[in-house]
Amino acid sequence: MSATAQAAKPVAARRFRGPFAGALAYAAIAALAAVAAVYTPFDDYILHILVETATYAIAVFGLTVVLGLCGQINLAQAAFFGLGAYAVGLGTADLHVSFWLALVAGAGVALVMGALLGMSTLRLGGHYLAMVTISFQQILTLVMINWIPVTHGPDGIGNIARPALFASGHGFLGLCVIALALVGYVVWHLPETKLGRSMRAVRDNELAASVSGIDVYRVKVAAFALCALLGGLGGGLFAGGFSYVSPDQFSFAESIVFLTMALLGGVASPIGALIGTALLIVLPETLRFLKSVPGLYLAIYGLAVILIIRFMPDGIWGFAQTYLRRLMRPAPFAQAAPDLVLVPAKIEAPSALEVEGLSKHFGGLKAVDGVSFSVQRGSVHALIGPNGSGKTTTLNVLSGLYAPTAGKIALDAHDITGLPPHARTAAGLGRTFQNIRLFRSMSALENVVIGAERKGNEIPPGDLPRGHAALVERARAALGFVGLEGRSRDPITSFSYGHQRLIEIARALAGNPTLLLLDEPAAGLNSTEKLELRGLLKRIAAKGLTILIIDHDMALVSDVASHITVLNFGRRIADGVAAEVLRNPDVIAAYLGAEPDVAHRA
Amino acid sequence: MKLTRRGFSGALAASLAAPAFISRAGAQGTTLKLGMCAPVTGPAAEQGRYAQTGAKIALDAVNKAGGVLGKQVELIIEDDQTTNPGIVLAFSKLAAQEDIVAFLGSIRSTQVHAMAPDVLKLGKPVMIGGTDPALTHMGNQWLFRFRPNDSYSGRVLADYGVNTLGKKKWAIVHSTDAFGTAGGKALTEALGKIGATVALDQGYANQSQDFTPVVLAVKQSGADILGSYFTFENDLGIFARQLRQLGVNVPYVGSPSIVNVSALKLAGPALYGTFGVADYAEDSSEAAKAYGKLYREAAKLPPDNQSAWTYDAITILCAAINKAGKTDPQAIREAILATKGHAGAEGTYNFDANGDGLHGYNVVKNDKGNILFDKHIDFND
Amino acid sequence: MDLILQLLFTGIGIGAVYALVALGFVLIFRATNVVNFAQGEFSMVAAFVMVVLSVDLGWPYWVSFLLSLCAMALVGAVFNLGVYYPLRHRSFLPVIIATIGASIFLANSVLALYGPQPQVLQGWFDTPGIQLGPVYLDSQYLLIIAVTIVLVAFQYWFFEHTLLGKKLQATSQDKEMASLLGIPVSAMIMLTFVYSALLGGIAGILVAPILFVSIQMGATIALKAFAATIIGGFGDVAGAIIGGLALGVIETFGAAYVSVPYKDGFAFLVLVLFLIFRPQGLFGERVAEKA
Repeated sequence: MSATAQAAKPVAARRFRGPFAGALAYAAIAALAAVAAVYTPFDDYILHILVETATYAIAVFGLTVVLGLCGQINLAQAAFFGLGAYAVGLGTADLHVSFWLALVAGAGVALVMGALLGMSTLRLGGHYLAMVTISFQQILTLVMINWIPVTHGPDGIGNIARPALFASGHGFLGLCVIALALVGYVVWHLPETKLGRSMRAVRDNELAASVSGIDVYRVKVAAFALCALLGGLGGGLFAGGFSYVSPDQFSFAESIVFLTMALLGGVASPIGALIGTALLIVLPETLRFLKSVPGLYLAIYGLAVILIIRFMPDGIWGFAQTYLRRLMRPAPFAQAAPDLVLVPAKIEAPSALEVEGLSKHFGGLKAVDGVSFSVQRGSVHALIGPNGSGKTTTLNVLSGLYAPTAGKIALDAHDITGLPPHARTAAGLGRTFQNIRLFRSMSALENVVIGAERKGNEIPPGDLPRGHAALVERARAALGFVGLEGRSRDPITSFSYGHQRLIEIARALAGNPTLLLLDEPAAGLNSTEKLELRGLLKRIAAKGLTILIIDHDMALVSDVASHITVLNFGRRIADGVAAEVLRNPDVIAAYLGAEPDVAHRA
Repeated sequence: MKLTRRGFSGALAASLAAPAFISRAGAQGTTLKLGMCAPVTGPAAEQGRYAQTGAKIALDAVNKAGGVLGKQVELIIEDDQTTNPGIVLAFSKLAAQEDIVAFLGSIRSTQVHAMAPDVLKLGKPVMIGGTDPALTHMGNQWLFRFRPNDSYSGRVLADYGVNTLGKKKWAIVHSTDAFGTAGGKALTEALGKIGATVALDQGYANQSQDFTPVVLAVKQSGADILGSYFTFENDLGIFARQLRQLGVNVPYVGSPSIVNVSALKLAGPALYGTFGVADYAEDSSEAAKAYGKLYREAAKLPPDNQSAWTYDAITILCAAINKAGKTDPQAIREAILATKGHAGAEGTYNFDANGDGLHGYNVVKNDKGNILFDKHIDFND
Repeated sequence: MDLILQLLFTGIGIGAVYALVALGFVLIFRATNVVNFAQGEFSMVAAFVMVVLSVDLGWPYWVSFLLSLCAMALVGAVFNLGVYYPLRHRSFLPVIIATIGASIFLANSVLALYGPQPQVLQGWFDTPGIQLGPVYLDSQYLLIIAVTIVLVAFQYWFFEHTLLGKKLQATSQDKEMASLLGIPVSAMIMLTFVYSALLGGIAGILVAPILFVSIQMGATIALKAFAATIIGGFGDVAGAIIGGLALGVIETFGAAYVSVPYKDGFAFLVLVLFLIFRPQGLFGERVAEKA
């Protein structure tokens, strides 16, 4: 223990020094850029282009967050941009309040609208979100045009004021550059924060994210609100820069332009957003020869969108990065991973899990029908049954993916029947999936860090480093426990199927669960891997963790399980000590006599 | 079809880099330069082409007659993309060229609004075609209008309907865009001044697919005459047809779009017998006829206001610079404002102190698809 | 009362247009789980092809009509091969964005080739409409309503009573299972895109005499049709029809009794309300999308 602690300190120090130096260098470059913006004698044309690029880029950063990080679509960024712009326009020109107040108000209104819009539809996601954002966009445009007493209608708003300190064109550009740099810094570092990691997890696999303890809905709303906020901020600065705004500048077509900017540059990074924005603002200016025929330029634009999606899904920056990454691999960890410590649950209830009269009906089909069993603390309990017997449905009801038709589930004597998946995870439930669900854009370590980050996971005491470093140590411990610590920086896609399964188990273990649910962990493994798995399960059990396992592999089950519950046609047909259950004639009949039935596998 | 990811990226990179190598060429100082913002791309690209043709016809005439201040005149056109940010960029690009002495702005009022702050900052004359009355009444002394503004179209519509057709109970239908709103307001005000009543004032959003509710509202209002401001011809076409289908047959006087070529084609018989105001009417004067002939030769198309105003703007601007004898903006401004009695294609220009050159409209009649000039109504204030 | 009847007829006529385009949405969504944002452009392209053939070249109406449909079949096939098929294994997001790209591409290609002027296309009937008591029935709207009914009936028969239709249904419900059963899944998806482009094309040619042929004609209709699809419950044919008709009627009455300028807003407002309070649509049971 003490050796681990000593080893951890230098790690923490190095991790601290690195980002700090980076931030300093970044601040210096940003300051230099701002000074250059103010003192380089650009003509007005260049000035306009630069202001447009900087303010648009801030809004496109919003899309980096919502689309790139969180995987949600927003086809109304121009509307949020417009909210910010109108706030600054109306605030300074009509109400004569200060530019700063109007800017903050505009960003605030955009934030609130984004959050409300997100809250009302993000549960649905996908296409619905696309449609609702379009609707919002259209309604806002109509309001801007028709609510003439307030918005001045189609005439737009002129004479928009700038703050006194940044009144000149160059001064204002300097302000935009500073804002761009600040927002860029935040967005750049967002993926390394808890919220950012949660967003990435949600984007990669919502189901896995929710069983890793992430409140998927809340994370999506946060991403959407943040995106709207940045849209509003960019719009407010845009209004100051151009001193005139009108409804047609914030139409649906502009939302598509924002989206294309994000895609072209690379949606995953603010650098990509900046590249995309700059290109799509400068490109129309340079490719004038294409514009002599109306429509030709936009036709090529549309074609380019299709081709980028097809051939450069990560955009220009993503494409460049694949080469850069090879040059800049992170240094390996200098110290060995600490041992994995699993802390037993605090409440000493007799059983870790108590299931009573659990039913799940799909229409007329009774997939699970009045099943009861209890899992003894510290035991390995197996749930078996022929195909279609309701095993996986039971597991999905237990982890909260399905709402039960009837029945009660208690974890650690604590009723969790009505909780959503992420709350169950917070209550101490960890699980893996039959078809592996990992966050595929991340490294093994990042996957497991998300597991370690679950709410309620108290990192074992001791003088370990706190914060992010603690999570990394925890994750390395879990990876070390399954034997993959040496490859913790490798991307998920480079691991074999068997190893991916181990990483999924490590992700659950890192969360220090009270009960670990394993859904057919042996499925798809070869015989060597199965042997390794068997050893791993025994080692987990030896640490005192309670396991509920579902599997077909009777050799595995009879080897590791101390208790077995058998289901057939959704009903419990046997329950008890492993050896006895396996001799039960009903069980033998069910296995030998039942036809395979694949009707409702989840 | 074997387009690899790498190949595509390479091609993209090359196409992005290429324009940087195309250097800008251009002789300095030998010509007198005018700048023009025109919609080369975007929804109004077609109209932009007309506008450029009109300007070029005038330019050729000026250059053939010896140019301006002894130099040939060169017109530098920047694309305003038919958008507000587009024209701001286009104008700032032109404004950055210090040897450009004056500019042509847009026919669209919102675009002129968008560029107005930059015009004021630059302090050089800009000829405009946008008809929102506010443009020349907001303290920007550098904007000069070469079309009659909407307060005049409203007054002419009101005057013609009330005094010539003898109808006093009006229904007004207008688009809710800048043009339609300003027009509707001007018509309402003008009617109020000459003692007619407005039974219905109905706005609609552009690109509506159906006007049944609007037409029924017109019918129910009991109005005996209809005045309209439509921006897009397809909207006007749908409206006119539904008007006839649902049995509304009161006299109908409309804004310029009611008599443009495209509207005539789309609406067909539904617009027969209607009246429109037109800032350009080929038969309205000798100057208009002469311009019509020139334009037909150059463009092989019938002339309209989109090209007539740029023709007049270049002609008058060049004459004004010649009269001023120098390219000093203030001198040009004074020379333009001193222009009186100039017979242009759009009408007779008498600039007032605000920068408005025209103060009246032609009224034309759609006679079975042929546009016939009816009368010209001018105001002195 | 006269007023209400007239508004109702117009509302249903417009609603039938939305419903017709919505059918195409539903088909593609059922087969591929993808929303095709270029569906409206199918209508626009078909109408322009029709203008070229029947107006510019002066070919007979029916010949032009059939050739336009052939062209649409081709557009549907190319769309599938160029936009959907290469991305079929990716998540819905890239596909949505690609269809948006395709929509921009189609609209502006037509603009580049044909210019921005709206065009006139004559309808199937010489008589513009019938005066039925106090209500004027536009013959083109009558035709649209009739065609919508016929196509819905055809679609029902096709999916429920033909082998090909059943294969298509199987494909849309479970691609893996369908391919295990020996159904050529790729061909089925191809067929879906072709049929959907045809539907869009028919809708475009039918509305052209009313709305004229313009570059923007597709986009506005498609957005409303999409809203209708959601109101009806995604992937539900009957729901999309009812949703379309309801939208048309709500819009028309909203314009008459609430506000004309905000007319387009009603459709979206209804949509947002539906999404908040009844996300499963009119009749649907499905709450969210397939996991």
